[in-house]
Amino acid sequence: PKSKAAAAKKAALKGVHGKSVRKVRTSAHFHLPKTLRLSRKPKYARKSVPHLPRMDQYRVVRNPLNTETAMKKIEEHNTLTFIVDVKANKHQIKDAVKRLYDVEALKVNTLIRPDGKKKAYVRLTADVDALDVANKVKRILVIYIDTN
Amino acid sequence: MVAVKAYELRNKNKAELLKILDEQKQELASLRVQKVAGGSASKLHQIGLARKNIARTLTVINQTQREQLRLFYQKKKYIPLDLRVKKTRAMRRALTPFEKKLKTQKQQKKENHFPLRKYAVKA
Repeated sequence: PKSKAAAAKKAALKGVHGKSVRKVRTSAHFHLPKTLRLSRKPKYARKSVPHLPRMDQYRVVRNPLNTETAMKKIEEHNTLTFIVDVKANKHQIKDAVKRLYDVEALKVNTLIRPDGKKKAYVRLTADVDALDVANKVKRILVIYIDTN
Repeated sequence: MVAVKAYELRNKNKAELLKILDEQKQELASLRVQKVAGGSASKLHQIGLARKNIARTLTVINQTQREQLRLFYQKKKYIPLDLRVKKTRAMRRALTPFEKKLKTQKQQKKENHFPLRKYAVKA
């Protein structure tokens, strides 16, 4: 009895044939409707542990060059030359030199040698002397030899 | 140069291991500089030792890390893909032993009613 009354009420209010309202279209084109986009909630990490940084400063810079032209560059142009990993880019080289030797680089120029290795000319800022840094590197060597 | 021993490294915690790793890498870097500057033969020999030391430290770091992770994930339902059994792709997709031994009821009845008989010949 109650359900009958409710149905009758609904029929009276809404009419027996329910009318579906048509959406007002203000544009002549149909564009993709915006749907719900959920963010990821993975049930498990795909890789158990993220890898240690692969291109750390020790990998980027291999060794400094001490050829005659390299020496000339140190004295005249305040630049250090390094052999560098082939996959390193200039930003990485600049960062690596900063971490290893505590010096700021003004600019880095790179080239790939015919033997497949990458050479980087690292121009240091004017307040640092390339000759000092080069000697400091040798001094670091001496300290390591002593601890052994 | 001292060769680090793996069993000594295993007692250390992660921060110490990373520090040791960093030191080893610095040694290797300095040795490489010496190589360019014309180092003695003994110094050049150290390069190989330094590389292996780095390898040993990394091995210990990774091994202990993965071991701990396996313990952590032991009771869980989903584990990371690199901790799962590797075997081969086909073997991973094969039926499990339980699934293989499932039988239909019809077959079970047959086996119960008509088991394999064993006969013996009287001597």
